[in-house]
Amino acid sequence: MSAELVLFWVFAAAIVASAGGVIIARNAIASAMSLVACFFFLAGIYVLLWAHTIAALQVLVYAGAIMVLFLFVIMLLSLTESGPVAQLSPSRILGAVGTAGLLAALVGALLRLPKTLPTWVSDTAQVQRFGTIKEVGQVMYTQWLFPFEAVSLLLLVAIVGAVVVAKPRI
Amino acid sequence: MNTPSFGLDDFLPVLPAAILTAGAILLLVSEVFLGSATRTYQALLAVVTSVAAGALAFSNAFLPAHAVLQGYAVLDPFSSFTTVVVCLGTGLGALLGAGFLKHRNAERGEFYALLLFAAAGMSLLAMSAEFITLFVNLEVLSVSTYALTAYLRRGPRPSEAGFKYFILGAFAAALLLYGAALLYGATGTTHLSEMAAGLGAAAKAQPALVACGFFLVGAGFAFKVAAVPFHMWTPDVYEGAPTPVTAVMSAGVKAAAFVALVRVFLFLGPVFDPEVVFVIFSALAAATMVVGNLLAIPQRNVKRMLAYSSVAHAGYLLSGVAALFAPATVAPKSGVLSASATWGADSALRGEALKGLLFYLLAYTVTSLGSFGVVGALERREDETKGNAWDLDRFSGLAQRRPFQAAAMAVFLLSLGGIPPTVGFMAKLLVFRAAVDAGLVGLAVLGVLSSAAGVYYYLRVVVYMYMRPAVEGMQTPERQWTTEFALAASALAVVGLGLLPGSVSDWLSRAGLIFGQ
Repeated sequence: MSAELVLFWVFAAAIVASAGGVIIARNAIASAMSLVACFFFLAGIYVLLWAHTIAALQVLVYAGAIMVLFLFVIMLLSLTESGPVAQLSPSRILGAVGTAGLLAALVGALLRLPKTLPTWVSDTAQVQRFGTIKEVGQVMYTQWLFPFEAVSLLLLVAIVGAVVVAKPRI
Repeated sequence: MNTPSFGLDDFLPVLPAAILTAGAILLLVSEVFLGSATRTYQALLAVVTSVAAGALAFSNAFLPAHAVLQGYAVLDPFSSFTTVVVCLGTGLGALLGAGFLKHRNAERGEFYALLLFAAAGMSLLAMSAEFITLFVNLEVLSVSTYALTAYLRRGPRPSEAGFKYFILGAFAAALLLYGAALLYGATGTTHLSEMAAGLGAAAKAQPALVACGFFLVGAGFAFKVAAVPFHMWTPDVYEGAPTPVTAVMSAGVKAAAFVALVRVFLFLGPVFDPEVVFVIFSALAAATMVVGNLLAIPQRNVKRMLAYSSVAHAGYLLSGVAALFAPATVAPKSGVLSASATWGADSALRGEALKGLLFYLLAYTVTSLGSFGVVGALERREDETKGNAWDLDRFSGLAQRRPFQAAAMAVFLLSLGGIPPTVGFMAKLLVFRAAVDAGLVGLAVLGVLSSAAGVYYYLRVVVYMYMRPAVEGMQTPERQWTTEFALAASALAVVGLGLLPGSVSDWLSRAGLIFGQ
């Protein structure tokens, strides 16, 4: 068992455990912090996939900025711990059956994957450069220039739209 | 490192979108430095911008189809024509918005800026030939429409509409993105042409993965074009949004989404499994036509009725899409029937179906903008929070109170019902003829029958306008020259294109309409 595989299982188990914590924790803050932990371990998986940039962005954007917003909202709403305990109702049972079905479908699909996964890039060195910031930057500003510029338009529209919707009166 | 090199040729197709964006930014800046209280000039600026962009797109439409910008976009008459239609819809929508907002004391540059941003997104979406570009441009147009839907927040309905549209639209976008990611996983590329090349082998190696990707992409598009069973959001959102925004949504957004759908499935459908694609689009078309028309019949609320009618019109368009993928061997033109059915219509039939689709988009744009425009002109600001703001009674005796608006509305409703000599008749004729030529007789018959049912609820409004006395105490709406101009232009287009469809439909019959076909 290579060190990479050991690390993968450590991260994978931690992701499942912290994701479970998000839905099991009764305290909303504890739930949010579990989500932070989940994002961190997910960043570890990205590093194992040679996607350094995505790992860094995962920590900065998700675990950092977005989770701060989550915590703000939780504290603004001042949620208490005394939420209702889960009770069996038809919709919950339906939800559980649906979730179990989705899990079964996903496991089934994973089991049917071919043993040798397709590789589109045979050059290992290229795979290892692939996710670095330098490589991502180069690809983004040369090969993917048009979609990149389209994203800048999207961000502008989102800002204008948010201001229009949030204005107290029009 | 390969530095990209762009020529003038690469920027020509995105120039209309660039003009629209520049106009939007100018409007945003004008709002900052504004001194005067009257802002009609903003609507005119938006109209001038969309006319300029539309004229440029029109001149682009005569260039042969080719890939530009490193293959992320294609310039073909198909996308240029869509941009022209979108610019037409945006210009008319801005004119309708001017009077509507003035009446509500809500004229702001941001409204027109968001309209122009949405139009830029639609124009770019129509020419996208790569999944990430396509998704980003779809979001540009969606995000602007979400904001426009919630632009007037008086009473609970607009907030509900904006929120519902946002949540369901985001859900649809996620479905589309998930499907695109699965197709990328199967083929290793996001470019539609390369994906089409690799999809055949991938479908053999991992059929489940490719099928899941296909269905998710299809479901995402079905949400955007409001096809049954993905139409649930339509009536509430169309009713809650400001009426000029509803008009633009029903025309421009739908046109752009349809064009993107046709482009994606024309690339990928034949490689994947034309039979499955054909069956799915036929089923969607049949369900959308029947359900849309049936749900519109009991509506007394005219705005909601028009929302359901727009669902039904998506169904007529979908039957044109189904004709694109019809089996070639049953087509009467293809000669002797061979024993093994080859799936996928031949190029002549396909051209006919494309012509029908594009002409229908143009026809529906002018008709729908006009009909929603009259609905918006009749609305009174005081009644917005009441339930009966769009009740049929509002239209009683309109012919005496406002003869011009009543006449225009009658023309639009006849066109929606598909009665000659309006453009709606010609459009239905072209789409259903394409369906019949492709062997989809059943679908065409269903379409004609359900549009006959549609005539009932369209003509009911005409009856109220011309044959019922006005309800006491109903105030006559104020006249706005911008609104009347937009209505007159739409009505002229509806009748003119209905009488003389030749110039447009001949142009649409040309070969090489769409890239890669």
